[in-house]
Amino acid sequence: MARRPFLARVADEARYAIDNLSEYATDLAVPTVRLGVTGLARSGKTVFISALIHNLMHGGRLPLFDVASSGRLAKAMLEPQPDDDVPRFDVEAHVAALVDERVWPESTRQVSELRLTIEYESAEFFSRTFGRGRLHLDIVDYPGEWLLDLPLLDKDYREFSQEALATANKANRRNLAVDYLALLAGADPAAEARENTARELSAVYRRYLAACRADEHSLSMLPPGRFLMPGDLEGSPALTFAPLDIGEDAGPFRHGSLAAMMERRFEAYKTHVVRPFFRDHFARLDRQIVLVDALHALNAGPSALADLEAALGEILTAFRPGRASWLFSVLSRRIDRILFAATKADHLNREDHDRLENILARLVERGARHAKFHGADVEVMAIAAVRATREASVKANGDKLPAILGTPLPGEVVDGETYDGETEIALFPGDLPDNLDDLFAGDAVSAPDVRFVRFRPPKLERTAEGVSLSLPHIRLDRALQFLLGDRLA
Amino acid sequence: MTNPKNGASPRRNRKPTAFRIDDRRVQEPLEEAETLERDRAPVAGSPAEAGPRVDQARRFGWGKLFAIGAGGLLSLGFGLAIDALIRDLFTRNDWLGWAGVVLAAMVALGLFGLALREIGSLLRLKRIDELRMTLAEAADGDDEKRARQGLAELIQLYKARPETAAGRRQLREHMREIIDGRDLVTLAERDLLSPLDARARRIVTDSAKRVSVVTAVSPRAIVDLLMVLYENFRLIRRLSDLYGGRPGFLGFLRLFRKVVTHLAVTGGMAAGDSLVSQLLGHGLAARLSARLGEGVVNGLLTARIGIAAIDVCRPAPFVSGRGPTVSDVTAELFRSDPQAKALLEEVENAGGKDA
Repeated sequence: MARRPFLARVADEARYAIDNLSEYATDLAVPTVRLGVTGLARSGKTVFISALIHNLMHGGRLPLFDVASSGRLAKAMLEPQPDDDVPRFDVEAHVAALVDERVWPESTRQVSELRLTIEYESAEFFSRTFGRGRLHLDIVDYPGEWLLDLPLLDKDYREFSQEALATANKANRRNLAVDYLALLAGADPAAEARENTARELSAVYRRYLAACRADEHSLSMLPPGRFLMPGDLEGSPALTFAPLDIGEDAGPFRHGSLAAMMERRFEAYKTHVVRPFFRDHFARLDRQIVLVDALHALNAGPSALADLEAALGEILTAFRPGRASWLFSVLSRRIDRILFAATKADHLNREDHDRLENILARLVERGARHAKFHGADVEVMAIAAVRATREASVKANGDKLPAILGTPLPGEVVDGETYDGETEIALFPGDLPDNLDDLFAGDAVSAPDVRFVRFRPPKLERTAEGVSLSLPHIRLDRALQFLLGDRLA
Repeated sequence: MTNPKNGASPRRNRKPTAFRIDDRRVQEPLEEAETLERDRAPVAGSPAEAGPRVDQARRFGWGKLFAIGAGGLLSLGFGLAIDALIRDLFTRNDWLGWAGVVLAAMVALGLFGLALREIGSLLRLKRIDELRMTLAEAADGDDEKRARQGLAELIQLYKARPETAAGRRQLREHMREIIDGRDLVTLAERDLLSPLDARARRIVTDSAKRVSVVTAVSPRAIVDLLMVLYENFRLIRRLSDLYGGRPGFLGFLRLFRKVVTHLAVTGGMAAGDSLVSQLLGHGLAARLSARLGEGVVNGLLTARIGIAAIDVCRPAPFVSGRGPTVSDVTAELFRSDPQAKALLEEVENAGGKDA
């Protein structure tokens, strides 16, 4: 924290306070909850939001979401969002993809927002009599990669370079970074600044990050986040930089040198990319759900798991958790409930859900402690926003295996057999470990023998009248109850 | 969070495998009826219950010895008397003798039927107790398997009750999904038991109301004593019927004993939560009129017995919310019901005129 100039921090905080003050005034009419939905790439953010909205709007089966199950939920409808400069979450297209075409919707590329207005009847005398019976739920969807940028706010270019190079030199990444390291060896930080050199360095660095994220490695710790999801800033100088090999004790950079140019661009990245995001979206959240695809990392092996743990640790320190007192809540918003959800629980039989929860609890241990210390409620759950499989048991070799039934996506491979996306199979995905220490020890011997396959979204049953039923899910109702239950009491 | 929960089986290192859907080894979850049968079996012999019963059976007591001896002698005496009677009847007239035999057979058959019914009712009560234990354990340990067993039992218990049809159907739907153990028990409470709970509360309030009014207007102490006794017995019986116990005579005695024990155990707690207000209330009421005060006291006693009986008869513990309390009942009894209030006031006025 020491590095960020004090004045800049005070100015930031003052701006957040003014924003919050005006929002608080509008809240007096109809209360608003801003729910942040985040997670690293392919953790299931889009699916979660689509399923949430679909279930709320179409009266899905949510037995553990009190307001819905007790019949107090009158209506949920989409309304124009409050922020005009943020893309709208295209829920119609995503739901159509899920329900009609049975494909998973396209992934989150940038921050997007959607306002769902819930009309309900309060169960408490006071709010039933004096409240409006309405709640605006603003869902803010943003890539978890961007959160990895937030710690950069407190770093300068030197620190960033040193850390990035140290990471690139780690055993599990050196092979991927070999091009970049070779290029770097030929680049002198003190040399004259050249746009071509900068672009080349940046492009190769970006390729290295992309390679890390590819399926077989599934690494997560890849700042700066916008390099992988540039959005509309693609090609701008603020995104055309890369870490350089700067010695520990190098003096100030010579004016006009490559290092000086890179440093300026790094600062520009912080000013024009990271800080606005933090101010406009992140500092205004009330509730947060962090989706984690632990299964994908398990699939890719121990180094991916360790990397995921590191990335989550970084992300979680970026939150502003805590319970703001009533008085201060006028000025500053705090995230008072954080839910860590291990998504895609439908890839496992229910017998393994507890183990999945334990693995996730271990992954987010540091962040959860931080949040709890500041007074926020934290919960860990294994969920599936859309349940793509059914459960079954298979008798094989005198053993009863807990298996799942589903249709693998076209191109998925199990035991050398490639599936076409139409055949349904029963899969026993392997046993998750009980002992987490072995799992996180990181050696390949103790790695669990598991295989998770991506399944197609479920086929929705239709009633005789042709009305499609709601999307099946696992514990989505419990997640909703935790995140929103108290605001709809 | 870090310990594996009770329900989880120990981890084995089995290889991931894919099977074709038409493979004969692949089984979809069993149909519901079979699930019920399968799930019910292990509960009966649950180890937690087996322990204390063995101890009880083994214990030796002088009283027991006496009871066995006396009972045996009495039944021998009865047998002899009946035998002698029938012989007498035969010596007098043949058809009289045969009529005696037929009557004796009816007595025997009736006795047999009664015994069967008693045993049935005792078993039913025991089953409810076991069920409550299962559900409590499932809720405490968040144990999904036990919760499923308990829910299947619960559905079975209320199968013959058409008014629970909607609740049972909802519960069956919940059981098809993946829901954690504690949540399942909560859902059972909300969907299946809450209508019964509402009726139970109604029954307790009605009884308490009747007792307090009758006490306030009764001319003789013995009348209201009998009334209180009768009303309380009836209350326990009705509550047990409501929750599916349907006790016979012996079952009722057992239930009554449990209610009294429960009352003794929870009495301290109940005294703590509302002692001040009750004492204040009694004092005021008693000052207004001795009879009205008695009525209030008897009404409170009935309410307290009713609450204890609900705890004893209900096949599940109160998990999500607290159960009804004495103050819930009294609140309704003395404040929100204008009829009772008016009646009490009338009594009060009449008493004033008499004096």
